[in-house]
Amino acid sequence: MEALGHLLQGFAAALTPGYLLYAFVGCMLGTLIGVLPGLGPAAGTAILIPLTFSLDATGAIIMLCAIYYGAMYGGTITSVLINVPGEAASVVTCIDGHQMAKQGRAGSALGIAAIGSFVGGTLATVALVAVAMPLASLALKFGPAEFFALMVAGLCLVVGLAGNNMLAALLMTVIGLLFAMIGVDPVRGAPRFTFGVEELYDGIGFVPVVMGLFGVAELLLAAEKRQTHMVEAELKSWMPTGAECRQSAGAIGRGTVVGFVLGLIPGVGAIVPTFMAYVLEKRVSKTPERFGKGAIEGVASAETANNAYANASMVPLLALGIPSSPTIAVLMGAFIVNGITPGPFLFKEQPQLVWTVIASFFVGNALLLILNLPLVGLWAKLLKIPFSYMCAGVLIFCVIGAYGLKQSLFDVWVMLGFGILGYLLRKLDFPIAPAILALILGPMMERSLRTTLEISGGSFAIFLDRPVALILLAIPVIVIAFLLFKPRSLAPLRESDIE
Amino acid sequence: MIIRRRTLLAATAAAAVASPALAQNYPRRTVQLIVAFPPGGSTDVGARILAAAAEKDLGQTITVVNKAGAGGQIGFTEVARARPDGYTLGFLNLPAVNTIILDPERKAAFNVDSFIPVINQVLDPGLIWVKGDSPYKTLADLTEAARKNPGKISACTTGILSDDHLAILMVQEAAKCEFRIVHFDGGAQQITGVLGGHVDCAFDNVGGVFKRVQSGEVRGLAVTDVERSKFLPNVPCTKELGMPTIISSSTRGVGAPKGTPADVVKVIETAFLKAINSPEMLQKMDAVGLALKPMVGAEYAKYYADTQAQAKKYTEWALKMR
Amino acid sequence: MRQGRLVATGAMLAFCLFALWQSLLLSLTDRLGPGPGFFPFWLALIGIVLSLALLVSIWREPGPAADASIEEVRILPHGWGALRCFAIVGLLAAVTIAMEFVGFRLAMLVFNAALVIALGERRWWLIAVFAVLGSFGVYYLFTTWLDVLLPTGRFGI
Repeated sequence: MEALGHLLQGFAAALTPGYLLYAFVGCMLGTLIGVLPGLGPAAGTAILIPLTFSLDATGAIIMLCAIYYGAMYGGTITSVLINVPGEAASVVTCIDGHQMAKQGRAGSALGIAAIGSFVGGTLATVALVAVAMPLASLALKFGPAEFFALMVAGLCLVVGLAGNNMLAALLMTVIGLLFAMIGVDPVRGAPRFTFGVEELYDGIGFVPVVMGLFGVAELLLAAEKRQTHMVEAELKSWMPTGAECRQSAGAIGRGTVVGFVLGLIPGVGAIVPTFMAYVLEKRVSKTPERFGKGAIEGVASAETANNAYANASMVPLLALGIPSSPTIAVLMGAFIVNGITPGPFLFKEQPQLVWTVIASFFVGNALLLILNLPLVGLWAKLLKIPFSYMCAGVLIFCVIGAYGLKQSLFDVWVMLGFGILGYLLRKLDFPIAPAILALILGPMMERSLRTTLEISGGSFAIFLDRPVALILLAIPVIVIAFLLFKPRSLAPLRESDIE
Repeated sequence: MIIRRRTLLAATAAAAVASPALAQNYPRRTVQLIVAFPPGGSTDVGARILAAAAEKDLGQTITVVNKAGAGGQIGFTEVARARPDGYTLGFLNLPAVNTIILDPERKAAFNVDSFIPVINQVLDPGLIWVKGDSPYKTLADLTEAARKNPGKISACTTGILSDDHLAILMVQEAAKCEFRIVHFDGGAQQITGVLGGHVDCAFDNVGGVFKRVQSGEVRGLAVTDVERSKFLPNVPCTKELGMPTIISSSTRGVGAPKGTPADVVKVIETAFLKAINSPEMLQKMDAVGLALKPMVGAEYAKYYADTQAQAKKYTEWALKMR
Repeated sequence: MRQGRLVATGAMLAFCLFALWQSLLLSLTDRLGPGPGFFPFWLALIGIVLSLALLVSIWREPGPAADASIEEVRILPHGWGALRCFAIVGLLAAVTIAMEFVGFRLAMLVFNAALVIALGERRWWLIAVFAVLGSFGVYYLFTTWLDVLLPTGRFGI
């Protein structure tokens, strides 16, 4: 209850006009960063840090957090409109979001994303207030062994992404994992599969790959069809309808839980919760066949999970001083430069400040909604640009996006190559999402297994001693057993033989 | 255009040939400072503070560019390959630069001579730390335990062949004990690992954890330096503990690619030195727990060479163990 | 479609075989268990099995019915659409090469104009405005305001 009193004081501080303005400006700049290519949330936040130097510590932090939220939301806009995910967190949004746009429902997609983000972010912050400290210490129990198990379980999600061809999905997963092996290996710290190309030492860049597989491939498909616009359907909706909102309510609820729980674990990254929420939604849906063809629940669950994750990852930061993603690490750096070192002592040393910042999380989430809902229509109007200009514009966008993160022309070639590959795979009906998930999870999985074995001195028995890891590892086994009992789902292609 | 072509000519004319016109004109545009580690880390925070301060004296914008990856190798390679015209500088992390050069499997595209060490900014000494309620109260407790149970006490680094990895080897050598070495990816994982009870002790640098030591959340056992750190006056240094061979730190400064004209280097050195010696710099760096250690010219060059020699011994040892 | 899927699966099989060969050059195990070659080796092996299984399953698929042939999806671009695809890919490759020599601004200026013309735009003034905004304008925005460095060519522009 003491916390509640602190929080109310925090609200009183955060709602002063000055701080409100900082939060507002932060949200706007953040959204812009999310929309613009080449920056990504981490680098984007980093370049805006100097802006906050002239503010007092509280103001600076309110603004930085608002920038962070804005940046996490901004990627949604490009995903829905032009099928270009700016960063990992919005890859899943592409799957159904852009399909919705193609049906003239861009407004609905963007609207539900804003609403879902708001609900997810706000509920996650409520949970943060209520249970931050106990949960944070629980999260510490999550060691490399549990992390490895989580990654393995996460990889099993591909089964849920598979659509009607399990074999192809599994093969794409393996191909994605093989691509993930490129770079410095976690065992010896030596380059692997790099063939002497220095640009490959840090692995294949994720952003160029997804920009190619989604953005460039989409353009090629549209160009071939001689479309006059990127999206040919008439804009049917500016806002999600009541029915669509009801349809998404469950997805938003489940997305919040998934995002929040995974946000507590340092190092998971935004892509895992979005994929998990999406697959969960597809599993519980009575009409799973709509997924991938413009299901609004798909967008709602991924976006909600993304923002719930973003807010929940503040728990390890504030309660333990552990940054759980590169962007949070940048935020933490900015906190420190402003004289605030996040950690357990922060609640004791500067309670006023912490609670004001937490209050500002609520304010930031609300501002993001207020700011973005009216803009949805404006964004959707961009789809009216003729294809020739849209195509050139998106390509400029993709080139900067691929080049900008590392200032590497090699990455532009990677983007082009994966663009052609993406085009062919789409034509051949090979699923792309499993490969992307594998590309992200592969290195984390291998590294955490290595660390686990370093801790145990090479003994695999460590997994038996750890109940959480054991449960997580049991999931894939159960899934595989389930598949074996229903062999038909493994080979749907053969069903036509039987007929 | 014309200036630019002249720069190019001067650059290709190579190392020592200094064109006075060049230094007079330098800098004419934005200077890039490549940081080989991701935004938000100690190196990045220090570099950004330095860049912001030195801009004023240099008279041009200094842009910090993060080229992280492969333990710094990506960024260092970029610096080594940059046009030596003074418009691309790099942050040199010692001994990270050295261990990459010394590991033949890394196939580094640069060597010791690829960089001109211009000016050092930070010397962040190593810190050996354990959980706040750990039974190990002193470094001797820890090494004693590691000697009695060889390979059972786990010690974590911030990466393979990082300065922390070398520091563990130094302790093993000095105290004749054996740790179970666990490689994490950066300081944040160490915190989770030690506080969560997954590993017994961690080797990091003062800047990353000093605040936690001050608050009592974790216990600093020793600073691997010849003197105590001003941020942790209560933590003994390895020299006073009678282990003077355990000297390890992460040292960070500005370097230029080989062939940068000497007068341009001088301009950079002057501007950065002024920035590093300013009171605001001290104040900002104190806030983040990074100790300033300005070194220029021959002193920095000697330090660079000494680090290489020291790193050689332990890197070879580490390579043999894997 | 069926043929295309066969070729693509075959290509993936070849890729996995290549990965298998490469992984054998690394050590499969080390002191603590899995070595650098461990994951690549098993993944490549699983990939080979999967791609063989997929090949068989596609092989046993019935061929397209006669009446479906008109509707059949073509894998490679064809007709006028193909020209547009090749224009995009070709220009993108050209601009990537050109950027290194003439810098982002000049390369993008030509790229923008060429691409919109290739895609059917004929109003010269719109093309000119777009090309300039999309190259010099974008460059200014990103380098000056956003600290994103874009390539400058050999001549400093």
